[in-house]
Amino acid sequence: MTRRPPPALFDQTSSELPDRGGPLKGVRVVELTKVWAGPYAGKMLAHLGAEVIKIESRSNLDEMRAYGGVDIDAAPYFLSINQEILSAQINLKTAEGLDLLKSLLTGADIFIDNIRPGALERSGLDYDSLKRIKPDLIQCSIKMWGSEGPLGYQTGYAPCFAALSGLTALVGHDGEAPKGMNIRYGDSTAGALAALACIAALHHRESTGEGQFIDLSAVEAMTSLVGDSLFAANVTGVVPQADGNRHPDMCPHGAYPCADQGWTSIAIANEAEWQALCTVLRAQPLAADERFSSLAARLANRTALEAEIAARTISHDAAELAEKLRKAGVAAYPCMSSLDLTTNAFLWQREAFRMVSDDNAGSRPVIGPSWRMNPDPPLLNNGAPRLGEHNAHVFRTIMGLREDEMNDLIARKVID
Amino acid sequence: MTQTTAGALAGLLIVETAERPAGEYTGKLLADLGAQVIKVECPKGAPTRHMGPYHKGESTLFAYLNTNKQSVALDLEDTGEQALLDRLLARAHGLVDDHSEAWTQRSGLSPGHVARRHPHLVHTIVTPFGQGAPRDLQVLRSVNVINAGGWGYHSPSEAPPDKPPLKGAGRFLPDYEAGIDAAMATMASLLRLRRCGKGQFIDISEVEVQLNRADAVLGRMLAGEADPSAARTAYDMGGPGTSFACIDGHVFLFMTTSLHWKALCGLMGDPDWSRNFRQDWLEFDCTPANVAAFRQNFASWIALRHKHAVTVAAQKAGVAMVPINTAADLPVHEQFVHRAFFQPADHPTFGPVAYPGACYRMSATPAGVRAPAPALGADQGELSA
Repeated sequence: MTRRPPPALFDQTSSELPDRGGPLKGVRVVELTKVWAGPYAGKMLAHLGAEVIKIESRSNLDEMRAYGGVDIDAAPYFLSINQEILSAQINLKTAEGLDLLKSLLTGADIFIDNIRPGALERSGLDYDSLKRIKPDLIQCSIKMWGSEGPLGYQTGYAPCFAALSGLTALVGHDGEAPKGMNIRYGDSTAGALAALACIAALHHRESTGEGQFIDLSAVEAMTSLVGDSLFAANVTGVVPQADGNRHPDMCPHGAYPCADQGWTSIAIANEAEWQALCTVLRAQPLAADERFSSLAARLANRTALEAEIAARTISHDAAELAEKLRKAGVAAYPCMSSLDLTTNAFLWQREAFRMVSDDNAGSRPVIGPSWRMNPDPPLLNNGAPRLGEHNAHVFRTIMGLREDEMNDLIARKVID
Repeated sequence: MTQTTAGALAGLLIVETAERPAGEYTGKLLADLGAQVIKVECPKGAPTRHMGPYHKGESTLFAYLNTNKQSVALDLEDTGEQALLDRLLARAHGLVDDHSEAWTQRSGLSPGHVARRHPHLVHTIVTPFGQGAPRDLQVLRSVNVINAGGWGYHSPSEAPPDKPPLKGAGRFLPDYEAGIDAAMATMASLLRLRRCGKGQFIDISEVEVQLNRADAVLGRMLAGEADPSAARTAYDMGGPGTSFACIDGHVFLFMTTSLHWKALCGLMGDPDWSRNFRQDWLEFDCTPANVAAFRQNFASWIALRHKHAVTVAAQKAGVAMVPINTAADLPVHEQFVHRAFFQPADHPTFGPVAYPGACYRMSATPAGVRAPAPALGADQGELSA
C-alpha cells in the first residue's frame, strides 16, 4: 500500500480534530502499547500536545480494556490512563494490516511499543526494517530488560522490575525483609522516561535530520531512581540497605502516628526546627534532653526518639498537627490516603484533578499532568477513546483512503 | 570520560539556578543528553555539595547529580550579580529553578520578571506543590512530598496499620520523579522554541508527579469505579506476591494465574502441601487464609534456596520470581554489564568510578557522562562570554 495525499474535495467534518496546541503540536506518534508503561509514555506525549495514535484490534486489545468491566469502551483502568489518545483499528495478524501500519508510519515522527520481546521483529516492524521506509523515524521499544542481551527475552511485571533494579532492596521497615514500594509502582515511571527519551530524539532529528532507535529497559528505569545510592556505593564501598525512614542529615525524619490511624510526615533539619517541634508537641523535656541535644545525638538515640515523638503525636489529628507544625516553621504534611487525596480541595482547585469528556457519563475526573504551561498550554479535554473511534481521522484524513477503500478493509477485517 | 558522541540536546544552553535534588536532577538529565548546563551556585557552593555520603572530603551526591555541568558562583541576593545572570540568560535557551516564590522574587527570577526580560526563554520551576501554593507548602521536603502524593501511605504493599508509611528508596525518590517530568516538559518546550522562537513558563508540581504516576489506581477512585478509603492497602493488588527471604538474600514472587501456580508447583516438585490448594485458587479462591497458608509453606521452601539459582530456574519454568538485587549485585549482573549501564570514568578526586547511566540506549545520541561534576566557579568565564 502506498501513501496518498488527502483528496482535495472530501468531507472531513467527522474526522477533523481540533487544534490542541502545546509544545509538541505537530508531532505524530504511533503506538503499539499495552497495559501501563507503554500507554503512559503515549499519554505523556499527548498531554504535551502530540497527536498520539494507538493501534489496536478486536483480536489484539490492550488488556486494560478488559480489566474491571465487560465494556471494552468503558474499562476503568483504560479510561484512567489514555486521555487524548486516538484509537485506530488495524489487525496486525494480516499482511495487509501490517502494510497499513507501515504506511501510517511513513507519516509518523515517533513509534513506541511495549509488546513482547521479538514480536516486532517477527512482524517486520523492527527498527532496521522501518528505517528503510521511514529513514528519520524515532522508534522506542520498552521492554523489561531492553530489546536484547542475555536476558532480553524475559518478560515481567512492575514489581519484578523494581526488585531486579536495586530499588526494592532499599525500601522496607527497619529490620524486615525489603518489601519495596507499593506493588503498583514502576510502570508509569518507565513510560515517562520513554517519553522523555523520545523528545530528546526529536531534538536530534531537528538538528540533523537523523532518526534513531531507543532501547529502554524498564528495570534500568527503576535503577536510575536510586542512582545516587548506587554511585555512593561504588565510590565508598558501603552497600546501602533498606533503611525505613532514616535520613543521615535529618532527625526526626519520617511518618509519625496520629489519631484515627492517621500519620504525619515530619522532617527536622536543624536545631531551630527541633525546638519548634518540641514546642508544638509541648515536649519541653525532650528539648532539654541530652540524648536529643544535637543531630548526632538524635541519630544515635533514634529508636528512643521515635518512640518519644510517636507518644506525643498520637493524640493529634494528622492534618491539624501538620498545619500547626508548618506555622511553627517545621516541614510537615499528613500522609495522604486515597480518600484524603480524592477529596482534597487544594488539588481540585489547582486542577491536579480535572474533567475530560466521557461517552457514558458525559464527563470523567482524571489526574491531570504535573505541568502547567504559559502561554500555549496543550488542551486536555478528551477522555480515552472508544476502540476505533478515530478510524476515519487516521485512515481517511491522514492516509487519504477513499470511503469505499476503508469500508472494504473493514469488511475483510483488516480494519477490525 | 568515555562519552564522546554529541548528545541529542547539543547546541542548547540551559542555566540552572536550582539547588535541590529535584532541580539538579532535571539539569542532570538535560546535561547527560548533551545540553550545555551552567549551574549557578551561591558563593559557598550548592547545598548538595554539603550533603553526604562523602569520600575524600567530597560529596558523592553532588558528584552524581551534577555530571556534565559547568559551574559559576553568583550571589543572587546582590543586584550587581543578578545583572551578570541576566546577561547569561540573554543567550540561554532554558532556565531550571526549584526555589520558592519568595526566593525567586528576591533574586529577580519570578516567572513574570523572567518572561518580560527574556521572552525567548523556557523557564521551568519545580516546587513541591507548584506555583501559587501557600508559602508554608513551598518549602516542604522529600519525605513530605512522597507522603503528600499518596505513595508513602501505600508503601510497602500490605503495610500493617502500626508501621509507618515509607519515604521510598534512598532520600530523594520524589525529587527524581519530578526531575523526569520537569526535564520532559522543558525539552518539549525547547522544541517549540526551536520551531517558533518563543519561550514558555513551565510550572511543575512534585506532588502532582506523584499523583500522575498512580493514574491507573487513583484515577479509578476519582471516577468512583473503586472506593477511595483510609486503608493503607488501597493501592494493593491482593494475592500472594511479596518478598521472601532465602539463603543469600531475598526474592520477589509475583503470581496471579493458574498458569503461574502450576509452574510454581512444578518448580517446587509438587510438594504435598500444594495439593491443599485448588488449581485455580489464585483466580477464584484467593482468600487471606489461603494467601497466609501459601506464604507459610512457600517461605519454608524458598528459605533453603539461593536467590540467583532459584530465580533462573523459575524463569525457565514460567514463574515470575526474581532476585531482589542489591547495589552489590548490579555492577556484575550480566544484563547490566551487557547494556553498559554503569559507565566507567576517572573522577578527579575519587579516582576510577562507575556512574549509573540512563535506562534509554539511544542509537544515535547515547546519553552519558562526558565530564565530572564541576568545581565551584570553575566556569566563571562563561559570565563574560
